[in-house]
Amino acid sequence: MDAAQATARDSYVLLQVGNRRFALRADIVSELAPAVRLHNFPHATPLVVGVIVRRGRIVPVYDVAPVLLGRGSSVHRFYLIARRQFGNATEASAIPVTGECELASGEAHPPEMGRQRYIAGTLPVGSEDVDVLDLDVLLTSAPVSPSREIHRTSNASATEAQS
Amino acid sequence: MKIAAQESPKQRRGRRSEPVILFSVAHQTFAIAADAVQEIRSTDSFAGAAVEFKQSEVAKVRHTVERARRIYYVVNAGVHFGLPTTRPTLVLILRQLRVAVLVDRIERMTEISMVHPLPRGFSGAERHWYRGLAYLGDRVFPVIQPTGFLTADEFQRLDRTHAVQEELAGVRA
Repeated sequence: MDAAQATARDSYVLLQVGNRRFALRADIVSELAPAVRLHNFPHATPLVVGVIVRRGRIVPVYDVAPVLLGRGSSVHRFYLIARRQFGNATEASAIPVTGECELASGEAHPPEMGRQRYIAGTLPVGSEDVDVLDLDVLLTSAPVSPSREIHRTSNASATEAQS
Repeated sequence: MKIAAQESPKQRRGRRSEPVILFSVAHQTFAIAADAVQEIRSTDSFAGAAVEFKQSEVAKVRHTVERARRIYYVVNAGVHFGLPTTRPTLVLILRQLRVAVLVDRIERMTEISMVHPLPRGFSGAERHWYRGLAYLGDRVFPVIQPTGFLTADEFQRLDRTHAVQEELAGVRA
């Protein structure tokens, strides 16, 4: 791995979903798009809420809030477009985000034991530890029930209180 | 052999464009290739020919119709796509398949220049329902895969049930 590749691996895009911040590896993020028209039609794929048209391509939109927050995200102002891996191929995938994204760099730590499979690590950003998402795992995850989310949130609050 | 570069833009356009029928079910619009549809009838005119088909194998089929000595199964598109219940007013009788489809209305006929493949992120039953997506004006429509209305297994189960019912009806007569 050369220096440029190493830098790319250590760069993350911080995104806001609902009231929480998460991180995605910057090398899989293509762009932050405005909230263009969402087209929907009947389908049976969990998390997919429709498609948007971006630069002549049809891009599926995934509402990840039910997985990350345990509830749908009603407000979003942008779509973060990232590449999802399908074998050797990649496909643009859009995630509705509520705020503007920012770039951060640093060394992510491995996730704590027992964290969800879609958490690839933890990135220290200032005084905050931001969960780094594994996009491919996240987009095939089942939404969490509200009771599990309450449990997870109260754990997070307890950790914050201890620190 | 034809070299692509020698084709005129007109030829290329002609090769790509495909006539489609835009129809709607429960306020959702779908496109189907015009040459996949043999006939469009109103449900009123169709009612006399349709026979109630009581079976629990395939919930979206409630009627059959006989055409050219073949049994066609009438699929309620709303049930097929999991949409809210509506009152269909038209029947699309498909070509080369023993399927007639109940829909709410025809929006219009038009031409599409290309069918975009369904993104791989779609992994459910829709992979059988749709050939892909069409982008027309500022709208995206799913393009119907006609063979997706009834699977080979569903045809088999319906044929079996239909044969049993015919036999019972013959015995009673």
